[in-house]
Amino acid sequence: MTFETERRTLLRMLGLGAAGAGLLRRPAFAQSSDKGGDAVTIGWPADVPAWDPNQRFTPDAQPIYKLVFDQPLGQNPALDLVPGLVTKWELAKDGLSLAVDLRDGVRFHNGDPMTADDFRYTFFERLKKPDRIDTKNSWRNVADVEVLSPVRAVMRFSAPAPTAPQWLAFLGSFVVPKAYMERVGVEAFQQKPAGTGPYRLADYQLNARIVLERNDDYWGMRPPLRRVTIEIIKDPSARMAAIQSGEIDLTINVPVREVVRLSREPGLAGEINPITRVILLQCRNDRGFADENVRLAAHHAINKDALSKAFYGGAAVPLPVVATPGTPAFLPDFKFSYDPALAKALLAKSGFGPDKPATITFASTNGHFPSDYDIARAIQQMWKSAGINAELETIDYSKYFELNRADKLPEATLYSWDNATGDPEIFAGYLLNPKMPFSAWKGMDVGAKVIELSGVADYGARVAGYKELNRYVVEHGATIPLLQSVQTLVRKNALSYEKFGNGWVLASTMKWG
Amino acid sequence: MMISAVLPLIGRRLLAAALILVAVSALLFIVLHALPVDPAAMSLPPNATLAEIDAKRQEMGLDRPLPQQYLIWLSQVAHGDFGASIHYRRSAVDLVAATLPATIELAVLAIVIAGALGIAGGLLLFHLRGTRAEPVADLGSIMLLSVPEFLWSLFFILVFGVALHWLPFTGRLDPDLRLPAGSGFLLADALIAGRPDIFWSALRHMILPCFALGIAFSPAIMRVLRSSLIDIYLEDYIHMARLRGVDERRILLRHALKNAFLPALSLMGVQFGFLFGGTLLVEVIFSYPGLGNLMVDAVRNADLPIIQLVGLTYCAVVLTINTAVDSLHLLLNPKLRLG
Repeated sequence: MTFETERRTLLRMLGLGAAGAGLLRRPAFAQSSDKGGDAVTIGWPADVPAWDPNQRFTPDAQPIYKLVFDQPLGQNPALDLVPGLVTKWELAKDGLSLAVDLRDGVRFHNGDPMTADDFRYTFFERLKKPDRIDTKNSWRNVADVEVLSPVRAVMRFSAPAPTAPQWLAFLGSFVVPKAYMERVGVEAFQQKPAGTGPYRLADYQLNARIVLERNDDYWGMRPPLRRVTIEIIKDPSARMAAIQSGEIDLTINVPVREVVRLSREPGLAGEINPITRVILLQCRNDRGFADENVRLAAHHAINKDALSKAFYGGAAVPLPVVATPGTPAFLPDFKFSYDPALAKALLAKSGFGPDKPATITFASTNGHFPSDYDIARAIQQMWKSAGINAELETIDYSKYFELNRADKLPEATLYSWDNATGDPEIFAGYLLNPKMPFSAWKGMDVGAKVIELSGVADYGARVAGYKELNRYVVEHGATIPLLQSVQTLVRKNALSYEKFGNGWVLASTMKWG
Repeated sequence: MMISAVLPLIGRRLLAAALILVAVSALLFIVLHALPVDPAAMSLPPNATLAEIDAKRQEMGLDRPLPQQYLIWLSQVAHGDFGASIHYRRSAVDLVAATLPATIELAVLAIVIAGALGIAGGLLLFHLRGTRAEPVADLGSIMLLSVPEFLWSLFFILVFGVALHWLPFTGRLDPDLRLPAGSGFLLADALIAGRPDIFWSALRHMILPCFALGIAFSPAIMRVLRSSLIDIYLEDYIHMARLRGVDERRILLRHALKNAFLPALSLMGVQFGFLFGGTLLVEVIFSYPGLGNLMVDAVRNADLPIIQLVGLTYCAVVLTINTAVDSLHLLLNPKLRLG
């Protein structure tokens, strides 16, 4: 083979390569220029588990379900309950019934009218069927749903249900069409779902893409955008690349430092928004944490401001209680100081000191929420300085339940908890209820208070009770709240959306310009 | 005659494969059930009580001894029931069947790319032997070998997706196109449906992930091919060909490469198993809706029925490919048929 032949071959190959690149390039540009002003492409970190909104409670899926289906009640950006498919509601004083007025003239995407029969089917009849749906658990106390007229119904409970209105706006509580579902069956419904929401499902590719088209007959405010494409992009690096390349217009859950970097890119805007998610230490009430002084010392030794600055750019608000600012049972005037000297004094009171440190075990997830393991390591160092030796181990989120059931959780576990409603029962009432799978604290001093509060129907008395509980559990070291978590978001500058306190990013509120 | 030589091998391999699959299923079952995760708790919503979780555990049979649980599972499998996904609440078989074609398509194209790059690179390395460029080429192949597929993925996304905008890097199709109904093998479905736009879009979406997978596996093929060629060039028949006046290109392509390719083919068979496993990360990075993506979700959600079935599927694919490669080896190498 001569040099001349090789050169010619090389030139031929380069020519072919350039032509190939040109061919590849054209459609890629065509794709980005095709986007009109009435469409948006979103990069979302998780798919919906199924197109049956009652089936599985997955927080990441709720903003998607809310585009196709409607809930009886909604929440405004400040998280107050607002009318949805239900226009008026009244919880009985004993908490044993909830009367609702349904919106008239609402139709499902298949044309069926939405009536009280659909409400009864969703919140009562479906729960009695063999369908494997999570709403069976959330509405386990529903004894009946009495239909008074096509637009009036009464939910009756077997035990007081003080948070029933909140649950009507929470996980999985979406009204589904009785007649259609019974006619086609659940599997066929999942293939072609019909809700009453602002968008209808146009195309779905498992773990890849959801395409929604605007429901022009929607009963509520008409969404500004005609078409919403949701690309399921699970890897944060790929989401960052996709927003940077212009393949998508908005994405969430990218690392904090990347939000700062991407904000400097022309045409992009980054946000770090505090939401109703708490990061806390779930504590045991025995072993190395049997002594209240040790638990309180562990809390006083943690510099929450430093954690926020180091891992969330200072955007995560340090929390004194297990509730986020602006929610009903938050205590704005209650403080729990970062005081390493006091931590040492408390340890000394219990006989621990530099020569005899307190010893505990400590667990953290790694990658379950942003910077979780790094936060745990920082806390481990803070404790060491105060005189607490913590042996840190990594656990999967799913392992938490098994360890808790087997009574094998360590003294402290770093944990993250979402509560889109902001209601105190779904904060402390769940996290510290020994009858639920989350609570590492098994002491009935706290347990009795929580269980009693779960039966209080009067809203004012209930919130007052949880405020008292929030103070009590921190003052006795039953929990160590750390930070209000943040949601990171990167979007094109020209795209705006309505910001919700619980981190919902709803395409129905998005618009260009 | 050649086919009749291969059939007994396939028969023996199928029998062995069945036994291996049963052994692997037992191993997977034991390992998965020894993990300290609670599938019952994972399958219920956050507000489920401890009593409800215990009831669920009984319903799922998790309170029974492990051997009994395995036998129940095995008898259900014999009836084609691999259980339902905890996360998706759908039949595990349906989910795997829906995602497997995407992964097979990806892996096959990737091994073709790996083979093409490997053969071209092997020939180049062989061509450069003894020259001053040899150490540089050697170093290049070692560098290629040392970069894992997920790094190639990120590199390709940054260069060809973000910087140059040449190729898409999420999903299987452009957003304005709909998947055609069919087998799930998108390229074939598009051709059958007479949709060149879908075929072209699907191919463009496959280029980056397939190259990320293929390029990571090509250096080993290059190096094996180069070594084989060096060995074969010492054989008498090569000298005889030269003495007969056959030109070098013909000696290489007609005589040496055919024989030197056999070890590379065996290697490609072994590598296909690794490559198939490598799709796991690559699919997540490229948001490619295949088996790997499903597996990552399953691990995250402690979705044991899916993990078990995907594990068995990986095993079955590797066994099938090994059998196919051995059969091909037998067809291509007359010496093996004599034995």
